[in-house]
Amino acid sequence: MSRLQRFLYRLGLLSVGLAILATIAAAYSLGRFAADVPVQYADDREHFKYGSLGSEHEFGIPYWIWRALPELFKDKLPNRQEGWQSVGFVFEKGKELPVGMSQRRYLGFDVVWLNCAFCHAGTVRETAQSEPRVYAAMPANTFDFRGFMRFLFATGEDRRFTPQDILRQIDVIRKREGVGRLPLLDRLVLRFYGIYYMRERILTLRDRLDFIKQQPEWGPGRVDTFNPLKAYFNFPPEQLSPKETIGTTDFPSIWNQGQRESMKMNLHWDGNNVSLEERNRSAAMGTGITPPTGDRQSLKRVADWLRNLPADPFPFKIDKALADQGAPIYKKYCAGCHGADGKDFRGEYVGKVVPIAEIGTDERRLDSYTYEVAVNQNLIFAGYGDERFSHFRKTFGYANSPLDGLWLRAPYLHNGSVPTVRDLLEPSAKRPKTFYRGYDVYDQKNLGFVSNVSAEANRKYFLYDTAQPGNSNRGHEGKAYGTELLAAEKEALVEYLKTF
Amino acid sequence: MAGKRSRWKYYLAFLLILVAVGALFGWHKFFREEPQPDWVTASPEMRFKYGSIGAENDAGIPYWIWFVLPRMFPEKLPGPGGYAALGVNWEQGQEMPIGFTKKVIGFPRVANNCAACHTASYRRGLNENPTFVVAGPNHTLNLQAFFRFIVDCAKDPRFNAKDILSEIDLVYKLPFIDRLIYRFILIPITKKRLLEREAQFKWVYHKEFPLWGRGRDDAMNLTKYFMLNQPMDNSIGPTDMPSVWNLKKYVPEKGHLMNLAGDSHDAYSVIIDSALGLLGAAPKDRTAFLKEVDWLVEYLGGLQAPKYPFPINQPLADAGKAVFDNNCGRCHRSERTGTRIPIAEVGTDKERLATWSKQAAIESNKVVRSFGIERKGLVENEPSGYIAAFLDGIWLRAPYLHNGSVPTLRDLLKPVNERPKVFYRGHDVYDLVNVGFVVEGDEAKRVGTKFDVNERASSNQGHEFGTDLPAKDKDALIEYLKTM
Repeated sequence: MSRLQRFLYRLGLLSVGLAILATIAAAYSLGRFAADVPVQYADDREHFKYGSLGSEHEFGIPYWIWRALPELFKDKLPNRQEGWQSVGFVFEKGKELPVGMSQRRYLGFDVVWLNCAFCHAGTVRETAQSEPRVYAAMPANTFDFRGFMRFLFATGEDRRFTPQDILRQIDVIRKREGVGRLPLLDRLVLRFYGIYYMRERILTLRDRLDFIKQQPEWGPGRVDTFNPLKAYFNFPPEQLSPKETIGTTDFPSIWNQGQRESMKMNLHWDGNNVSLEERNRSAAMGTGITPPTGDRQSLKRVADWLRNLPADPFPFKIDKALADQGAPIYKKYCAGCHGADGKDFRGEYVGKVVPIAEIGTDERRLDSYTYEVAVNQNLIFAGYGDERFSHFRKTFGYANSPLDGLWLRAPYLHNGSVPTVRDLLEPSAKRPKTFYRGYDVYDQKNLGFVSNVSAEANRKYFLYDTAQPGNSNRGHEGKAYGTELLAAEKEALVEYLKTF
Repeated sequence: MAGKRSRWKYYLAFLLILVAVGALFGWHKFFREEPQPDWVTASPEMRFKYGSIGAENDAGIPYWIWFVLPRMFPEKLPGPGGYAALGVNWEQGQEMPIGFTKKVIGFPRVANNCAACHTASYRRGLNENPTFVVAGPNHTLNLQAFFRFIVDCAKDPRFNAKDILSEIDLVYKLPFIDRLIYRFILIPITKKRLLEREAQFKWVYHKEFPLWGRGRDDAMNLTKYFMLNQPMDNSIGPTDMPSVWNLKKYVPEKGHLMNLAGDSHDAYSVIIDSALGLLGAAPKDRTAFLKEVDWLVEYLGGLQAPKYPFPINQPLADAGKAVFDNNCGRCHRSERTGTRIPIAEVGTDKERLATWSKQAAIESNKVVRSFGIERKGLVENEPSGYIAAFLDGIWLRAPYLHNGSVPTLRDLLKPVNERPKVFYRGHDVYDLVNVGFVVEGDEAKRVGTKFDVNERASSNQGHEFGTDLPAKDKDALIEYLKTM
């Protein structure tokens, strides 16, 4: 073999070797970075609480960063010691993620973000000493959505949001938990790309949602549904009519969807859509899915489960005799608009929209949903055949809702301005002008959560002020609404409503 | 030798197949015409509102570009609401606003049809959704803002493949090939085509001209600059969008002329000329185009004006008929109706007349003839006055006079110095008392565009007829006019 031949031979060998290496590297990266696999749950209820709708595709945060943020930026939390719980996230025993947060392997990382349950699962305690019990599909009574966003945005604005600081914090946590350092490749990707990108995304979101600063504080258990949609459409917020800039309402319960669907009820507080399927996808966009990234199968699984999910029964004592006295009162005053009882929703006006002048409740939420929003929603899911939204309608009142699981749906009225059912049976002048929200100890007598506790241990509760714009507790009052009943009748009615 | 030749044949055959496949692919991706879905042509009204008249060929914008423009450039719109901010009539549940057509020619494209300017909306109050009336004047559409929006977008540096595609990615996952086509072909070409039109749009940006405002367009200048490519002159004549129902009432044999100043001979010509304006070029398929025109002539010819939808005081209206016959009938229900009234007699704002000329008519007729289209066409003489209007459906045709300078019928029955000098156009809540739309108040101000009668071409002078009638006669007359 000549020298040249030997050289060529070696060169050939080297190229083959390199090619094999490159193939292995490519195959590895493909496996490492192309995977898109959610964490699966066999049980439907678990899937509802922890399953992925695909929101991680656009908004996912690497799991270890999610862990690091509340420690590194604990000074930005309402309560330094409580971590994510201090903005109202609910952690179940033995779970690493809170209820309403899902995990998915995507772009080479375990990333986490939200699903339906972050707004639609809550807790109840019998007394301050009892363990909280988690109820799926009830309004997230303790979760402070705005507090969560405020914290997230504050981290993005902070000078400690750097690869060095965040990775150091991750190391601290992993050392404490004995799981070793983050693998080198993960570190590199986060160090040189991931954390910068994440910061940029957080700040972009902050800018888009900047208008929220102009609104009165939401407090736990509430959200403005449709003004963020205007931000999604990029409507310039400063050009909006001042009438439409506040639309804060209670999270609703979402059990028993099937009967609502079969009765073609107007869904949402203002009844702006009769299609359950569209309403679900629209709400799922609130978790962060987009038409290209939503996980259709997963969403369908949640929707199917919610169709027949019954409301959890009142777990405390009910005075049967008193409740029986309340039944005819309910039938006379309430059944026409709110259904025959807690399980049979039939009634002449159930699911129909009552004009605002008639119901008389706070109009801000109604006005926040405009004709312009409705027609722009026509374009959502365009390109995906029948999935395109076509059922949104501007309405001019609020929709009558069945009262299934009413006991878990406090505070009451669309804006959550009345703490208990008993208070709702008083004329607005006699309803509490201010009260506390976010406390999950139950007020068995009045049907609602205890609303006069301002703090417990380190946690402060939110003082709801009915004088703030959008927060009025007026309306749904007068003879027809039962506010002129005798005290004993009201008591009986409240007792009966516990059976719903 | 023979072997070589046969190998050659194989190469050639292979090459031919390759070319054929390439051609088929190109045809499929750029020229394949798909009929619009059945629901579009299911009823005449739907066809009028959403049916293609062929404008997608030359004037069509690729669907996904059309989709993302308002989200990328909201600052170039007159207000919040995406396309709705332009005052388009958009039915709840419909993908496209009325008058916007979506059609696949290789790829989905968006263009316009007649209904964009000729569908009206009204509401009885703020607590009501709008009712849309086809063939009514679109008094809410800000056409000038629409023109400017499209051109302004094209001029923006963010109108590039990277930015547009990343916006599309948020709403739709384009298939790989289509993404490449958008990146390298559709986005650059759309930008180029829109910028090419900038010169024609120059007058839309004229600094000294008043804005058209909602519900008006400068129709004859459109023809001059778009069809004839004439250099910009100093004329301006924005006028109300007209209603286009019941076109059979125009009978050329009786000397009726069409358009506000009698610029055109018959409905067939008007529809062809207006449609050509939407196409922006000679029709690609002349037969199909003329077939659609024939359908429009037939449909709009027989379509009756909508009845007044609110209560009418019938005895009062009956009394008003006599007032009408004595005061209005000689022009609006006589052989003069549909013919030109000399400007000296009617006395309304003259500027619209100066936007057109005999020469322009001759040249336009030549252009249309060069497309191989025969029609009676534009009237080849100098504009000298305005047409005495037929008053069918007059209740929905506010504001009044050719330039829309008088908000309500009641105002029109006042002498000029008592008519409103400043008001807001484009709000669609109906004014039952004065017959017209509400032009004052917070909502009218927020939604509408300001109209000032002291601006050029906007005078509310003239047509001082019936202005000295006793108040009760005016009431009766107005009640009667609701019935027309």
